[in-house]
Amino acid sequence: MNNMEKSRGNLLLEFFSEEIPARMQLNSEIQLQNLFSKSLKQRDIAFESFKTFSGPRHLSILIKSIELEQKDQEIEKRGPRFDANQKAIDGFLKSNQLKIYETVIKETNNGKFYFHSQKIKGQKTYEILPDIINEIINGFVWPKSQRWANTDLKWARPLRNIVLLLNDDVVKGKVEIGKNLFLSFTNFTFSHRYSDQKIVINKIENYEQLLEENFVILDRNKRLDKIINDASYLLDKEKLKLVNDKSLLEEVVGLVEYPNILIGSIRKEFMKLPREVLSTAMRVHQKYFSITDKKNYLESKFLFVANSIKEKDRDFRVVEGNERVLKARLSDASYFFENDISNTFENWNEKLKHVLFYESLGSLHDKIIRMANISKIFAKEFGVKSELAKQAAILSKADLVSEMVMEFPELQGIMGGYYAKIKNEHEEVAKAIFEHYKPKGVSDDLPETKLGSLLSMVDKIDTLVGFFSIGKKPTGSKDPFALRRNSLSIVQILINFKLNLSLNELLEPSLKEYGCSSQSIKHNLIDFMIDKLKYVFSNKSNRMDVVNSVLNTIIFNDIPMKIISIRIDSIIKFTKRNDFKIFLANFKRINNILKNEKFSNDVVLKVNTKVFETIEEQNINNLSNTFLKRINKEGICEKSQDIMINYLIKMNEPISLFFDEVKVNHNDYNIRINRLNLLKNLHNSISKFSRFELIQD
Amino acid sequence: MCVSNSFQKIITSLQSFWIDQGCVLLQPYDLEVGAGTFHPATVLRVLGPDPIWKAAYVQPCRRPTDGRYGENPNRLQHYYQFQVIIQPSPEDIQNLYLESLKFIGLNPKDHDIRFVEDDWESPTLGASGLGWEIWCDGMEISQFTYFQQVGGIEVKPVASEITYGLERLAMFIQKIENVYDLDWDGIDKKKGGKTYGDIFLQQEKEFSKYNFEKSQTSFLFKQFNDAETECKNLLDDKKNLLALPAYHQCIKASHIFNLLDARGVISVSERQSYILRVRNMARSSCLAWMGKLNE
Repeated sequence: MNNMEKSRGNLLLEFFSEEIPARMQLNSEIQLQNLFSKSLKQRDIAFESFKTFSGPRHLSILIKSIELEQKDQEIEKRGPRFDANQKAIDGFLKSNQLKIYETVIKETNNGKFYFHSQKIKGQKTYEILPDIINEIINGFVWPKSQRWANTDLKWARPLRNIVLLLNDDVVKGKVEIGKNLFLSFTNFTFSHRYSDQKIVINKIENYEQLLEENFVILDRNKRLDKIINDASYLLDKEKLKLVNDKSLLEEVVGLVEYPNILIGSIRKEFMKLPREVLSTAMRVHQKYFSITDKKNYLESKFLFVANSIKEKDRDFRVVEGNERVLKARLSDASYFFENDISNTFENWNEKLKHVLFYESLGSLHDKIIRMANISKIFAKEFGVKSELAKQAAILSKADLVSEMVMEFPELQGIMGGYYAKIKNEHEEVAKAIFEHYKPKGVSDDLPETKLGSLLSMVDKIDTLVGFFSIGKKPTGSKDPFALRRNSLSIVQILINFKLNLSLNELLEPSLKEYGCSSQSIKHNLIDFMIDKLKYVFSNKSNRMDVVNSVLNTIIFNDIPMKIISIRIDSIIKFTKRNDFKIFLANFKRINNILKNEKFSNDVVLKVNTKVFETIEEQNINNLSNTFLKRINKEGICEKSQDIMINYLIKMNEPISLFFDEVKVNHNDYNIRINRLNLLKNLHNSISKFSRFELIQD
Repeated sequence: MCVSNSFQKIITSLQSFWIDQGCVLLQPYDLEVGAGTFHPATVLRVLGPDPIWKAAYVQPCRRPTDGRYGENPNRLQHYYQFQVIIQPSPEDIQNLYLESLKFIGLNPKDHDIRFVEDDWESPTLGASGLGWEIWCDGMEISQFTYFQQVGGIEVKPVASEITYGLERLAMFIQKIENVYDLDWDGIDKKKGGKTYGDIFLQQEKEFSKYNFEKSQTSFLFKQFNDAETECKNLLDDKKNLLALPAYHQCIKASHIFNLLDARGVISVSERQSYILRVRNMARSSCLAWMGKLNE
C-alpha cells in the first residue's frame, strides 16, 4: 500500500487567461482532456481519472492517481535467422556493438531468429510534464484565436499564468509563447476580480474549495445549478416562472465566475410591444431572461445573472443600471415599431427590388413574385384559397427591410406577421407570414396553419431550386445556404400534409420560374430530395428496408407523396403476414434467376405467347399484364394500396405452380429466352410498386 | 451636480490617467472619421516604425446613418470617443483599464463589470482584432481590442486598443437617460452651465437633415472619386511616396462613402465594391507608411 502511494500522485493543470468567449469554454474542457490523455498514453503513463473545469478565466484539469514514473520501455531488435551464416550474425553483433551472450534466440511465425532486447528506464513524470504541456498548448484548436504583445502562440485570449502541480509541488519548467518569451509553471492562480487576489494552492485537493471561497465556482455545472436554484427560489414565491432558454443559460454560465441572480422591472409603457420584440431585445443584447406567470403571460420583469457577490447596496445599484439600459433598448425598439407601423408593405416591397437575394438569382422582390406564382399552383393541394396563398407570398419578405428586423434579424417573419395584422391583412395571411420560417430544424414544430405550411414550403422550394440551378448544391460538409435543412423542412411538410404531389410536380413549377430546363439539374434535385425523404421516412417507420424498396421504384418521381407514405405503411403492415412472406420468397427467387442471367441488349422483352407450352406460363403472363394496368390506375389511388398488395399475394399460387411445372432453363434457346422474358416482365411490373428484393425477410 | 463627473471632467481625468501610464496625449485628427481607430496615430503607428507606441486622444466620430434629428435619447450622428492605443499590449492592460474607471468616479467593486466577447472588424480599413465589449451593469461602456491586422497587414507586436464611448460612459456615471441632458461643465444651469443638448442638439438636427435629405449625391460621388484619384496619384509617385497625405485621402473617401450610404444611394451590390475601394486605399497607404509598397 505504502509503495502504491509513492508511485502515484495527483496532478493539477490550470490555464489562467483573460476572459475566454462563453461559446468556446465547454469545448476547451473536452479538448484539454483529450489532448492530455493522448499525451500520457503515448508515453505509457497511467492514471485513474480526470476532472475538468472551465469558466471565463480558469480552464483546468485534475488528474487523479497518475503514475509518478513512466513505465520502463523495452525496445526489441530482431537479428538474422538462427541458422544464418556466421558473417550475417557477426555483422548484426558488430553494428549493434553486442556480444553473442547479450542476444537471445526466439521462435517466431517465420522461424527462429536472434533477438536483442534493450530496456530503457522510464523517466520521472515531472521530467516529462513540461514536454506534455507544450504539446497540449500547441495542439489546442480554438474556433478563433489571437496573438498578444510579442507572442507567436495563439490562444483564444491572452494566456497569463499556468499552474502545474504534481503531488502538491510545482513542476519546474516553462512553456514557450514567443521568441525568448516564456511562461513558467506556478502554484498560484487568481480570485474573482472583485477581490483580485493571488491565491496560492498548497494542496490540490483544496483547489476547488479554495477558489469557491474566493468567489470563483470552477465547475460549470455547479454554476448552472446555482443559477437555476436561485432563480426558482426567487420566482416560486411569486408564482412566476422563467421562460426556458437553454442556449442563453449555457452562455450566461460562461460569462460569470460567481453567479448572482437579480430581477429587474420593465416599464409598463413597453409592455404593449409584441412579446417576441421584448424577449429578443432582452435576450440578444442584454442576455436577460423573460419571466411569465403560470398562465404563460409575459411579466413586466426580467431576470439576469450578474458576476458578483450578493450585497444589498451593490445589487440595488446593478439592477437600477440594468433597468436603465433596458429602457434605452426598448425605447429604440418602440421607435422602430412606431416607424414600421407608419410604413407600408408597398413601400417595403419596393425596397426589396434593391435587395439582392443572391448573385444571379435576382432580388428579394423577384423571389416573392416567384413564390406567389408557385403558391397559386399548390394552393388547392393545401386546401387554401389561391388568392390568399398569393397574397401571403407577396407580403412574406417585406419585414426584411423593416427597421425592427434590420435591428433584430431573428424577428424575421414574426414582425411581418404582426405588421400584416395591424395593417388589416387577412388573419390567415398574417399568421402564415408569422410562421413561415418554421420548421427551423428537424426537431422544430411545423407551421400550425395550412397557409403557413404552404408559404414555408414554397419559400424553401424556391431557395433550393434556385441554388441548384446555379450549381450551388451542398458538397461534403459544406452547405452554406442550409439547403439540407431546407429540403428536410420541405419533406416534413410534404409528409405531414400527405400531399397528392409527386416530386416532379413539386419541382417543375419552380424550375419553370427560374427558366431552368436542364434535366441533370432536375435529377440532382430529385436525388437530393429522395435522400431527405429516406431519412424522414426511415426515422418515422423504423423500416429502412421498406422505405428503400418504395423510394427506389423506377417511376418514383411521378408517384404522389401521399401514396408513397401510405404504401410504406401498407407494406410494413403486410410484412408480418405469412402469405406476404411467401410472396416475398417467390419474388426474390425470380429476382435471383434474373440477376444471374445476363440479358444482352438484343433480347427484346416482348413475350411471345405462341411459344408458351404450359397453362402456367399463360397465367403468369396474364398476371403480369393485369398488374401493370392496375399499377397505373389503382396504384396511385390512396385506398388501393392494400388491394394492390393483396393482388400480389394472390400470385403466390400461380408462381409456385409455375416453378413446379415449368423449367426455365429449357434446352430450346427460344423457349428459354421467352420464359426469362416472361419473368422479367412480371418483375418489372411489380417493381413499379416496390423493389421487393430490398425488403428483409 | 458635483463637478467631478461632468462630461469635460471625465475627459480630463482619462487624459491625466493615461498620461501617467506613459501615453503621448494627442488631439483629434482634423477630418471626419467613423471611429477613433481611423486616426493615423492608431492605424499607421501600430505598423511602425517604433515597436513601442502609446497614445491617448479624444476623437469626434461621425456616423451619418445613426442620426435621429435629435429625437432619440441614445443615438447621435456625431459623438465622442476616447481612444487609448498601447503597443505592445501590456500584461496588466485589463487592470489598467479597470483602474482608469476609478479615476472617473466609477469603482468596479461597486458594479457588475463583464468582459463579453466582441471581435472587431473594419472592412474599410482591412483591420481586425479580438476582444470584448465591456459591460458595466449591463451597459456597454467600452470596447477592448487586441489588434491582429491593419490594412491586411499583421500587427507585430500586437497592440491593445481601448475605446471609451464617452457619452454612454457619462450617461452611466451621471445616471442620465437622455444624452442631451448630460452635464457638460459641472456648472449650475442658472450660472450659465451647459448641457450636452445646449451644445449639440442643433447640430444633430441640422446634420441629420443634411445627411439624410440635403447632401448633393452627385457632388459626393465626385468627391469620392477625386479622393481616390488623389490617393492613387500620391502612391504612384514612387520617388516621393507620401503615405500620410495618401491615407488622409482614404479617410476622406471613407466618410463620403458613409454619407452616400446614409442617402441610400448605394445598392447592395455596389456597396461591396465601394468598401473594397476604400480598403485598397487603406492598404496601399499602410504599405507606403511601412516602406513596403513596392515589394
